Amino acid sequence: MTTSTTPAVDVTTGRPEKTAPSAGRRSKRVDAITATAFVTPALIGFILFVIIPALGGLALSFFQWDLFSPPQFVGLDNIVRLFTDPDMWHALGVTALFVIMGVIPTVVLGFLLAVLVNTKLPGISVLRVFYFAPMIASAAVASVIWAALYDPRFGLVNQALSWVGINGPAWLSDTTWARPALVIMMIWGALPIVIILYLGGLQRVSDDIYAAASLDGAGAWRQLWSMTWPNVWPTTLLVTVLQAVGFVSGSFEVSLIMTNGGPLGTTQSLALYAYKVAFSDRDIGYASALSLFQLVLLGAIVLLVRLLVRIRKAYS
Amino acid sequence: MRTVLSNTARYVGIVIGAFVLALPLLFMVSGSLKSATEINTFPPKLLPTTPVWQNFADAWNYLTGGVIANSFVFAIGIVGLQLIISLPAAFALAKIPFKWTGVIMASLVIPMFIPGNLTLIPLFIVTFQLGWLNSFAGLIIPMAAQCAFAILLFRQFFVSLPGGLIEAARIDGASWLRVLWSIALPLSRPALATFCSVSFLTAWNMYIWPQIVAPDPAHRVINVALAPLAGGENSLISPSVGLAGAVIAMVPVLIVFIVFQKWYIKGVAGTGLE
Repeated sequence: MTTSTTPAVDVTTGRPEKTAPSAGRRSKRVDAITATAFVTPALIGFILFVIIPALGGLALSFFQWDLFSPPQFVGLDNIVRLFTDPDMWHALGVTALFVIMGVIPTVVLGFLLAVLVNTKLPGISVLRVFYFAPMIASAAVASVIWAALYDPRFGLVNQALSWVGINGPAWLSDTTWARPALVIMMIWGALPIVIILYLGGLQRVSDDIYAAASLDGAGAWRQLWSMTWPNVWPTTLLVTVLQAVGFVSGSFEVSLIMTNGGPLGTTQSLALYAYKVAFSDRDIGYASALSLFQLVLLGAIVLLVRLLVRIRKAYS
Repeated sequence: MRTVLSNTARYVGIVIGAFVLALPLLFMVSGSLKSATEINTFPPKLLPTTPVWQNFADAWNYLTGGVIANSFVFAIGIVGLQLIISLPAAFALAKIPFKWTGVIMASLVIPMFIPGNLTLIPLFIVTFQLGWLNSFAGLIIPMAAQCAFAILLFRQFFVSLPGGLIEAARIDGASWLRVLWSIALPLSRPALATFCSVSFLTAWNMYIWPQIVAPDPAHRVINVALAPLAGGENSLISPSVGLAGAVIAMVPVLIVFIVFQKWYIKGVAGTGLE
């Protein structure tokens, strides 16, 4: 497509000074044709696999469909069902717990570790690789590793606990401990990106304020909380939103692989519930309504954070 | 004296942090070479007494070379296809005067904030309707079409290229395609390194998409084959063999990560900094 239009460009722009005005108009047309040809493949893909699924997901929320028989319009039935479905409320609670248990430690630990490695000491670039490494483990790789670590009888975690006299739980099949076990694993996977973003934020904080603070006699710990932390506030906001989204949607693969939502649904987040409704029950309409509901919730979280920022700005 | 002390304390802190974060991966590597009994002894040995290379042979037989080949086709297919469609689009949006630029940019950016897992079901349905289940087309094309990140990354880079260079080439009669190929691309090596490393790692590590679109053995990718080893349902397979499989699954991304580290980290840092 692109190659057929290009010789025309050579011809028209080959002698620009003779027929300047018409060449200008022609080259404008050539620009438009070339630009159209350049963006078309990407746009086709984008419309077919981004726009249509997004709008289709919205539309399917109002239908009942099992993938094979023709879809039936059911109006708001799926939305009404959403609010009266105890499994949905349970999954929503699990999702909220994943976010609350996961995001706060990830952000605080990420910040502290970033401050720790934000130095120019020799050899630091090699050591930093270890901090970034968990990022490249896929959900499946991480699950294989952590399933071995969490093994109730032979896993390293319980061996270590028994060494100090604690009888460790059967982590992944224990209704109390399965969720924290998955959260710890997800925090491990999420820390590298948080550290990277904080390192970027820290590098924008000027060194002068620390020099001034040292002269004033502020200790390291005091400097950290009263100077560094407020100065990386924009990064903290960004990281919090990204991690909230990450724990809502990212918990899905991990719990699908490691516990399949169990034991007794204690690790079944909304995303996993929607997945099961879609692919086990083949109830596409209701699954779409569940996905839509999550999107609305995420949008609400983002708006809430922006509102908090505005309030904070108004008071400072 | 005080700074020497505090630097030493800091080093100790950094090394402990590095060790704790890397511990699960170190456990994976050392566990993959231990025998089925040795992996469970406590306190754990850092290194296996005698490396059991048989674990890797067993893991390879379980995963199969075909699955690993599928993973390469899948990941390289996504990277390649995204390059082919994103580079011209990004170039047009950056350098060719075009009245739709603003509209296209806006429509690309907005859906970027929707997590992929929420559009998984409708995306699966589109792929299903196209008759692409259990095919490489179904695996690769819908994922390659998620190219907003690639277009924005390359566009940002192309915008920064000096306009005079491109104008001069245009006046000399070079077509836009030629300008893209011979002038813009050779200058874009950093952006290409960033994109290729991020895109390859993301694609290689995908689990849920290949799992729902192409679960049949002929198209299975490595993460789909590996995941059942984590659920405990394959009790016949020893954890050391599972860990050896995890090592095999991680080797390609580890190589890409180490070689492209600088660019990769720039890329993942950039995804959050709009």
